[in-house]
Amino acid sequence: MPTERTNITNLQNDKKPTNPKLGVGVYIVIPAFNESLVINSVIDEIKVAGYNNIIVIDDGSSDNTCGKAKEISGVTVLCHKLNRGKGAAAKTGIEAAKLLGADIIVTMDGDGQHDPVDIKKLIFPIINENYDVVLGSRLKNPKGMPWYKIVHNKIANLITWYLYGLWVTDSQSGFRAYSRKAADDIDTKGDRYEYESEVIREIYKHKLKYCEVPIQVRYTDYSMGKVQKQGFVNGIKTFYKMIWRIIH
Amino acid sequence: MTFSNLYLYQIVVIIVSVIMIFQGFQRFAKRESGQTIFKLLLRIAVWGGMVGVVIFPKFTYQLAHSIGITGNINAVILTGFLLVFLMIFKLLSAIERLEQNISELTRKDSLKEIKKED
Repeated sequence: MPTERTNITNLQNDKKPTNPKLGVGVYIVIPAFNESLVINSVIDEIKVAGYNNIIVIDDGSSDNTCGKAKEISGVTVLCHKLNRGKGAAAKTGIEAAKLLGADIIVTMDGDGQHDPVDIKKLIFPIINENYDVVLGSRLKNPKGMPWYKIVHNKIANLITWYLYGLWVTDSQSGFRAYSRKAADDIDTKGDRYEYESEVIREIYKHKLKYCEVPIQVRYTDYSMGKVQKQGFVNGIKTFYKMIWRIIH
Repeated sequence: MTFSNLYLYQIVVIIVSVIMIFQGFQRFAKRESGQTIFKLLLRIAVWGGMVGVVIFPKFTYQLAHSIGITGNINAVILTGFLLVFLMIFKLLSAIERLEQNISELTRKDSLKEIKKED
């Protein structure tokens, strides 16, 4: 279990935090499903970036992701006995971070597509400008992003805006940072990819102060080849789930 | 009535119904969890009834006449649809509730380790 808290002053070399809370606890939550090939390198990268409070949630993987993550010391590894979806795993991670006393919680994908260097950009507005939620946006920096993913994201943004009332440039990004207040307020029910849009709904509902920052996404053959990613069919399922939650 | 006299929709309904009844027997024979004789009989009644209706469509006229709704059969069908939709909605709600309960249990189970260490 991680005991060391990430000191923000070490991370913000370019600007000293104005927030009086020095030694604030930043926890990185990684929901992972069948990521045994890359999970250790993802954790290593995060550690190199200066963050030691890492929580990996193995969402019922069949490829020993859990065992692989446990090989690295100082990482909290939690295992879902059943596959419940990315949203459910992220929620478990956030609950775990809260139990461990987190002040800021960052969620990021377990396939290595997110660059841990961007964590600094995500937590900065929470520490220095009292934001509650910071959303990493791929669409603010779409360089290298496949065109169909851009189209898919824009459609998802439009649906999220229409159903939940808040316009954001990347409603499906999993790279986000939450203040403790936001983590306490946000209450999602979605287990799968609809979780990401539900967070947007909660931001609107609780009037949380949010902003978007551009993030770098590394699309690799590995991350693009995963079948459980948000493709067309999963997109339809997500849309159905969003509609269902409204009428239900 | 011969097989060549049947319309395509009748053939499709018969094939689907036979498959569904066969699956019901199979599950019951394997003693799968939740498979009761009541469920099997219900399955036979529903799918068997559909086979009966498509093979003997005139039966519906007799049925409607005998229960006195000959002129209002459309209303009956619509009511039937409504009931089916309500049942589907109820089923989906129950599934959703179960899904959430499973997720919550899974979450509590995985968080046990942290709570123990605390």
